Amino acid sequence: MRELSFHGVTVRFGAGRSALAAVDGVDLTVPAGSVVGLVGESGSGKSTLAKAAVGLVPTTDGEIRLDGAPLRARRDRRRLQMVFQDPYASLDPRMTIGASIAEAVPGRPGRTGRAAEVARLLELVDLDPSRAGSLPSGLSGGQRQRVALARALAAEPDVVLADEITSALDVSVQGSVLNLVRDLRRQLGLTMLFISHNLAVVRYVSDVIAVMYLGRIVEAGPAAEVLTSPRHPYTRTLLDAAPRFGVALDDPVPADSELLDDEPPSPHDPPPGCRFHRRCPIGPLTVPERTVCVEKDPQPAAADRPHRAACHFASDAAPASLEVPAR
Amino acid sequence: MGRAQWRAALRNPVGAVAAGLLVLLAILAIVAPILWGDAAEATDPAALSQGSTSDHPLGTDALGRDIMFRVLVATRYSLGLALLATAICVVAGVILGVLPAVLGRRSGRLVVAAVNLAVAFPALLLALFFAVIFGVGARGAVLAIGLAGAPSFARLVQTNVAAVSGRDFVAAARVAGVGRFRLIVRHLLPNVGEPLVVNATVLAGGALLAFAGLSFLGLGVQPPAYDWGRLLGEGLDRIYINPSAALAPGVAVVIAGLAFTLLGEAIAQVVGIRTTRRILPRRSATPPADPADGASTATAPAPTEPAPDAVLAVEGLRVGFPGAGPDGWTYPVDGVDLTVRRGETVGIVGESGSGKSLTALSLARLAPERAVVTADRLDVVGLSLAGGDGDALGDEPPRDDPAVRKHLGTRLAMVFQDPMTSFNPSMRVGWQLAEVARVHEGQGRRAALARAIDRLRTVRVPAPQRRAHQYPHEYSGGMRQRAMVAMGLMSEPELIIADEPTTALDVTVQRQVLRLLREVQRETGAAVVLISHDIAVVAQLCQRIVVMYAGRVVEELPADRLDRAAHPYTRALLGSVPDLTTDRELPLATVPGRPPDPASRPAGCAFAPRCSFADDVCRADPRLATVAPDQRAACWHPRLDDQKQHGQEPHGQEPHGRQPHEEGVSRA
Repeated sequence: MRELSFHGVTVRFGAGRSALAAVDGVDLTVPAGSVVGLVGESGSGKSTLAKAAVGLVPTTDGEIRLDGAPLRARRDRRRLQMVFQDPYASLDPRMTIGASIAEAVPGRPGRTGRAAEVARLLELVDLDPSRAGSLPSGLSGGQRQRVALARALAAEPDVVLADEITSALDVSVQGSVLNLVRDLRRQLGLTMLFISHNLAVVRYVSDVIAVMYLGRIVEAGPAAEVLTSPRHPYTRTLLDAAPRFGVALDDPVPADSELLDDEPPSPHDPPPGCRFHRRCPIGPLTVPERTVCVEKDPQPAAADRPHRAACHFASDAAPASLEVPAR
Repeated sequence: MGRAQWRAALRNPVGAVAAGLLVLLAILAIVAPILWGDAAEATDPAALSQGSTSDHPLGTDALGRDIMFRVLVATRYSLGLALLATAICVVAGVILGVLPAVLGRRSGRLVVAAVNLAVAFPALLLALFFAVIFGVGARGAVLAIGLAGAPSFARLVQTNVAAVSGRDFVAAARVAGVGRFRLIVRHLLPNVGEPLVVNATVLAGGALLAFAGLSFLGLGVQPPAYDWGRLLGEGLDRIYINPSAALAPGVAVVIAGLAFTLLGEAIAQVVGIRTTRRILPRRSATPPADPADGASTATAPAPTEPAPDAVLAVEGLRVGFPGAGPDGWTYPVDGVDLTVRRGETVGIVGESGSGKSLTALSLARLAPERAVVTADRLDVVGLSLAGGDGDALGDEPPRDDPAVRKHLGTRLAMVFQDPMTSFNPSMRVGWQLAEVARVHEGQGRRAALARAIDRLRTVRVPAPQRRAHQYPHEYSGGMRQRAMVAMGLMSEPELIIADEPTTALDVTVQRQVLRLLREVQRETGAAVVLISHDIAVVAQLCQRIVVMYAGRVVEELPADRLDRAAHPYTRALLGSVPDLTTDRELPLATVPGRPPDPASRPAGCAFAPRCSFADDVCRADPRLATVAPDQRAACWHPRLDDQKQHGQEPHGQEPHGRQPHEEGVSRA
């Protein structure tokens, strides 16, 4: 397992007026042997970042490196494996699960070698090896996702990118897949980029949490710290919005302020300055003197702030005392 | 697409005729030249250009050769040429069709453009063009017809391949390092095969006709060889003297063409491209509401009087579909009792397949056409939709009774999961809202629109005046959901049913929509039924929670008693979802196995095969029984201990650690 790092990675789609940067200058490191959780709302560019890493979408700018060496050749891409969101779409319906897994096994191990490898991988993801001959249609969602994991592991990857792998699953099954991810990580020392929109899920499996908003990483840091003392107001908003038992819907959180724009901004036309300022509970809409948020992009100096937060006021966004601005 | 389906296809008239004709043609093609090859060549100078005689039933040609034999013998050559042309067409089409998927972006586009250009030419024109280029004769004609058909076939392949190559499993294969050739052969072609096979058979029929046409024009087969087209051409000269000389090859062409087309039709039926109409069980097969097999004994034995302030009173609701169940019916909803009082917020939680959405749809009389909805009682916003005898809904009052429609339309509001599909994309949002007031209350355009704008303001859509004139696609997901709520508020609803209203939304937006529902409920006093797979979401908004499993209600409890859930399934649901306080050091609780298929539910408690407390008692149906004040559970072994913390507290599901082969493998 090796370290995966993104350096100023930009992915642009379209041209002219319809152009949009789905990923915009992302710097992110997934250290060897650790799980980095990437959270963000839909459209924030998290899946695009993963697809860029495995070569499914071309990057416009920047570099993706494995242990410091740029990833370029098609051959290299195999070092990264991806598990997709929908296990009902990610397995070929016409191929037995054994064949799907075997296809990813590198080299030419021969028929018996391949069968043994498939059996080993199925065992690894807690599936009965005798099911290698079944078609995906005979498997439940959770079992399919296990097969997808086994296929990713078959390629002996350095890094696994898991893109929303539990969001298409039923709740009672989601837990078992998360347990599996944890176990595999312990057994194999997996390096993993774990993408999800669900903060609680990301929290459960990750060492490091990175938060993405409109194509950019707005905060990244050790999981416990990011969750207990978020430095970016967006992270705070996500935390506040996550449903929690025993916390009533009526307890107002800063982001509930009516002053804030309800509408997520369009990636075609990102707001100037800080991209979050129109929805920011501590930004210019609630604290009028903070005009810097509209004028200056907080991204360039992010590396110097705690949690690399892309917020001009990251240092004083104290954890518990995130003030509820007067209306 | 098993063998059984092919056998079934043979039994249906289209398949049987196609198969019969094909067998006949195949036998002729093989046998005729062997048996009658010489006879067809034999010239009889004594009988030149004769009509029908006893020696020559269809007459003879100008050289005195027997026309009947010639038509029969020509089968092999005609069919052979047509199939060869089809093969060329298919091969060229497939190659051109898959190239864009595996070539680079730019060269792929070039291929697509070239094919599009070629498709624009009429095929017959292309065929004539190629026939001239390749020279007159059978070989030229085969190439001409084959290549002329290739562009449209290539287009078909391209379209199908493009649809498949956008899917995740192709991306996964690419990531796994699968080569281009293997990608085509193993992943792309097998998954687009069916429409291609169907099309190729139809194409063969077309090629046969085209051949006959070219030969008839003298551009195809040249003498001394002959096919049906040439025979037709020769016969036509003497059609007034001996009509059968022209009719016989004509009939042969028609029969063979028909055989191919019918074959294509039959294959299409088997592979499901064109679905045959399923024969539904007759209405008389409508299941009794209270079958003797005790399937609905979980419902209350006799309808009791509902609470006087109930806006929704449901007893023994069953929704059946014709299917694979023991009596020819399956029941995704199988005996649901539910009462919702005025102003109450009730959450229905369950996994996919638990029947929660179908329950909601049945309440609004929106269940699919094929479904048969029965209930001992079904009172929705003051209207009884089913009598005590378990009348099937849809008998009386009829489904489209205007009074019922108006009643439900004004007093009941529905909010669906995907607000993009629940709005008409080609109609401005404001007018769609206004339609409610215009249809149900006969308001004028202007007044209705004014109210729509007012309601949009109520749900805090910014700049409602302007946004009312926008189309649904100009709204973000959260805004659309707000507009959906606003539509429900156009009249005064007593009950709002929200079916997974936030599932497609982000957490921040989800919170806003939930808060909006809460606000609306407080201001209008309407009752809210929130349906979700996410128990945490439901717990946030609702006072009372109803947990569904396998078409039944398994537990009903106040939201603040969730930590004292009595049913093992409710506890499992709570334990398997991580939240922001879950202990990261412990594995999450999991439930082995998976929910039962509605067609084959186990007898007794449906959760028993997955439950670690299950014993012999659980083979009998558990009824909803009171386990605590306001809390009822359908379980023989309700958990009454305090489940201190949500998350990984042991609730006896399984010992901590990995469970080998969970999900089905170790299933009882």
